[in-house]
Amino acid sequence: MKKFLILPIMLAFGMASASAQSLEDLNLQIHGYATQGFLYTTQNNILTTKSSDGSPSWSEAVVNVSTQPIPKLRVAVQARYFLLGNLGNAITLDWASADYKASDRFGVRIGKVKTPSSLFNETQDIDPSYIWSLMPQGIYPIVSRNSLLAHYGGVVYGTLPIGQKLGKLEYRGWGGERVIESADGYLLADAEKGIVAPNGVSGTTYGAALRWKTPLRGLMVGAAAAENNAKNGSIRDTRTNGLTYTGTMVRTGFFSPDFFAQYEKDRIMVAAEFARKPYSEVLTLTSGPSPIPSIPTTTTDQRLWYAMASYRVTDKFSAGMYHSQYFNRAAAFGPGRFSKDWALSCRYDFNQFFYAKAEQHFIDGTAVGYDANLNPSGTPGVSKLKPDTRLTILKIGVSF
Amino acid sequence: MKNKIVLFLFVAFATLLTQRAYSQVVVIANPGVKASAISKAELNDVFTGTASSLKDGSHVTPVLLKAGAVQSAFLGEFIGKSDTAFRAGWRSLVFSGQGAMPKAFDSEAALVEYVAVTPGAIGYVSKSTAHEKVKTLAIR
Repeated sequence: MKKFLILPIMLAFGMASASAQSLEDLNLQIHGYATQGFLYTTQNNILTTKSSDGSPSWSEAVVNVSTQPIPKLRVAVQARYFLLGNLGNAITLDWASADYKASDRFGVRIGKVKTPSSLFNETQDIDPSYIWSLMPQGIYPIVSRNSLLAHYGGVVYGTLPIGQKLGKLEYRGWGGERVIESADGYLLADAEKGIVAPNGVSGTTYGAALRWKTPLRGLMVGAAAAENNAKNGSIRDTRTNGLTYTGTMVRTGFFSPDFFAQYEKDRIMVAAEFARKPYSEVLTLTSGPSPIPSIPTTTTDQRLWYAMASYRVTDKFSAGMYHSQYFNRAAAFGPGRFSKDWALSCRYDFNQFFYAKAEQHFIDGTAVGYDANLNPSGTPGVSKLKPDTRLTILKIGVSF
Repeated sequence: MKNKIVLFLFVAFATLLTQRAYSQVVVIANPGVKASAISKAELNDVFTGTASSLKDGSHVTPVLLKAGAVQSAFLGEFIGKSDTAFRAGWRSLVFSGQGAMPKAFDSEAALVEYVAVTPGAIGYVSKSTAHEKVKTLAIR
C-alpha cells in the first residue's frame, strides 16, 4: 500500500517540476518549525523521560514542501524529527499526499494522509498552532501519537451548505492501512513486558466525521466514528524464564465514537470532547520450547473526555486551562485505572516566528503516560508509581 | 487632574485614529471574479482557508500583506483574530496537509499588481492606495 501511494505522489512532484517554467509557476512553498521542551515532575517519571531530574529530551523539527501547479491540485510532503525520552530520535515521513479539491463540496486526498478523526487529531502534533504544550493525553497521547496521526490511503472531504438558517456541514471519510513501527509508543507497554513486534504492526482503519458549523458564528458541533485494527504483527515473547517464543498479535478496535464541540470568537476559545476507545488484544504464541504458553486475551475499554478554554489576553499573550479524564473500565481498581489532569497553560509570541510556552499539570492517577523502565518495581513490565504527579513544562518554538 | 485630562485626550485621539484605519480598508479582487459584493462571513471563510469559492461559484485565492496597519485593520474588522492567531490557523492547515499558505506581499502596490493579473485573486488594501486595475468588492 505504501509504495502504491507514495510513488505516484513523487511522480506528480516530478512532473509538476518538469513542466513548470519557474518556481513561481509551481507555487512551491517550504515551511517548517522546531521546538525544544523541558519537563520536570514531582513523584514519577513521565513520557519515557527522566523528568523527576528535569529532562530536556523533547525536541521536534518539521520540514514541509508543497507545490500547487494548478489551483485545484496540491502535492506536498512533510518530514519530522521527533525525540521524546526513549521514543523517536529519528527522521520519519510525517505524510505525503496529493490533494485534489474539485470544489468546496468535494475533495480527495491520497497518500500517507492525516486521519481526520476527533476534534484535533489532524493538528495535535502541530505545536505552533495552539497554546498547549501537551494536548489532553487521554485522547491525544503523545507517546503513541504516531499510531493515530496518519494512515496510508485516502480521505474524502467537503463542506455542504444546509440552508442559511442551518449553517454548513463538513464531512470527512477515510480508509486505508495504519502502519505502526516496532519502536512506537503504541507497543511500549507490551515491549516493556518482553513482548516485541520486531516488524511493527499494521491493520485497516476506516471511519467518518461530521462537523456542523452552526448558524451561531464560531460554534461547531461534531461527531466521528472509527475502527482501527492491528492484525498483521508478528511477535517475539521472552517473558518466560528467558525462553523465546514467536507468534502473532491481533488488536481489534471496536467501533469508537467521538463527540466534540468548539466555540471560537474573538479572544475566546472553548472546546470539549468525549470519546470511547474499546479494543481487545489477542497474543498467540505459535512456536518455541514446549509447552507453548497460552496468553489470555486482554480487553481495554477507554472512556476519555476533556473540557478546555483559552483567552487571548493581548495580541502576543494567551492563557488557558483544561481538565481531562481517562478511565479504563476494564482495568483493576486503583490509580492505574484512571488519569485526571488539570492543566494551566500560557503562550507568548515574540513575533510571527518565535514563541514560548509554559504549562503546569496536576495529575491524579497513573493510567496514562508512565512506563515501567523509568518507574521500576522489580517485576518486568510493571511500574511502581506514586498515585499523583505534578508536571511542569517549558517550551520554545520557531515556525516559518 | 491634568494627568487625567491628558490621558482622556490620548485615548480619544487613539480611538479616532483606529476608527479611521478600519474605515480605510477595501477588499479588492481580480476583474475576472464575477461577484461585486461579498459578505463578512464569506470573506472570513476565504481568508481562513475554510472556503475557496464564493456563493456565486467564483473560485478565489486569498492574498495577504505581510504586516502593517492595513493588515491589522483587515484582520481586526473581518477575521476577528490577531496576526499571530491568524497565522497559527493557516499553519494548522499547512502542516496537516490541508492547505497552502497564501501569498503575502511587502507592499500594497505589489499586492494590487498581483491581484490584477491573477485570476481569482482576492486581497485588501487601504482606500488611498491606487487600485484602478482591480475590482472593489462591496461588503454586504
